[in-house]
Amino acid sequence: MSYTPDTQNEPAGFNPLAGIAAIVLPGAGHVVRGERQRGIMIGVGILGLFFGGMLIGGIDVVDSEEDFPWFIAQSLVGPVAFGVDYVHQHHFKVLALVEQVSPDGRRLLVETRRSANPHEVRDSQGKPAHAASPTDPPPNTKSLSKTNELGTLFGTIAGMLNVIAVVDAAFPTARRRVAKPATGEAVKA
Amino acid sequence: MSTFLNSVSALTETAMAWPSLPEMLAAYRPFLDPLPLQRAWYLLLFPLCLGIAVTYKAVRVPDMRRYWRDVAIFTTQLVLSVVIVGGLMFWVVLWVLPRIVPMPG
Repeated sequence: MSYTPDTQNEPAGFNPLAGIAAIVLPGAGHVVRGERQRGIMIGVGILGLFFGGMLIGGIDVVDSEEDFPWFIAQSLVGPVAFGVDYVHQHHFKVLALVEQVSPDGRRLLVETRRSANPHEVRDSQGKPAHAASPTDPPPNTKSLSKTNELGTLFGTIAGMLNVIAVVDAAFPTARRRVAKPATGEAVKA
Repeated sequence: MSTFLNSVSALTETAMAWPSLPEMLAAYRPFLDPLPLQRAWYLLLFPLCLGIAVTYKAVRVPDMRRYWRDVAIFTTQLVLSVVIVGGLMFWVVLWVLPRIVPMPG
């Protein structure tokens, strides 16, 4: 039985421009390829998961310094993830002296970025300062336990899904192949 | 069996002990503070599965006219799968394992 592809007009082959667009912004690759609705839904899904994770656990769930292994997967969302991490590191964390133990056992005071504690605020140089009022909130609140785990997981899954979307945008050949038999009845190949 | 039933009872009580909406939102700053969902975290399974389905089906469906139908089916499949696997793990850890390897004392 001979089958006629139902998707003859669908773009096929390697499309580097769509791949680059998909890396820059989730869903943009499909829009570049002319599949506007598909691209919008991919963007809504991936960015919805990524920012949904931030809504659940706060900006603390995107942290390249304290949660680096998770950030590797989150960074697959694209420049958005790097931007959020930059804002988190440079506009919310405080530069504080933290005691660390060197390999030879000496105690060292190292300036490092950390989340502000409760009743701490961030001064103009990014250093921690005592809040003027006990009700003044810190720049952001560190999330703990399940909300942190789930918020981080949302962003991580968003990054991994974006890999699928990027591959699909750059190599639009191997999926959605719908064929019509000679009789005209559509079947999935 | 009583341990298993006590655990189910505790889980149900936890679910019922939700803070009220005004309490939850009183001091919450979106994207800066974590949502106060420590006791109802498992409800986040629904948006997680929906997000996965929205993205994955946007890539996979051949015909976008069937998109939302496929998203609904896939979301349901994901949620049910996780609930079934979670329930099985709950049963194995709290009912089967204590019978196979009883805790001393």
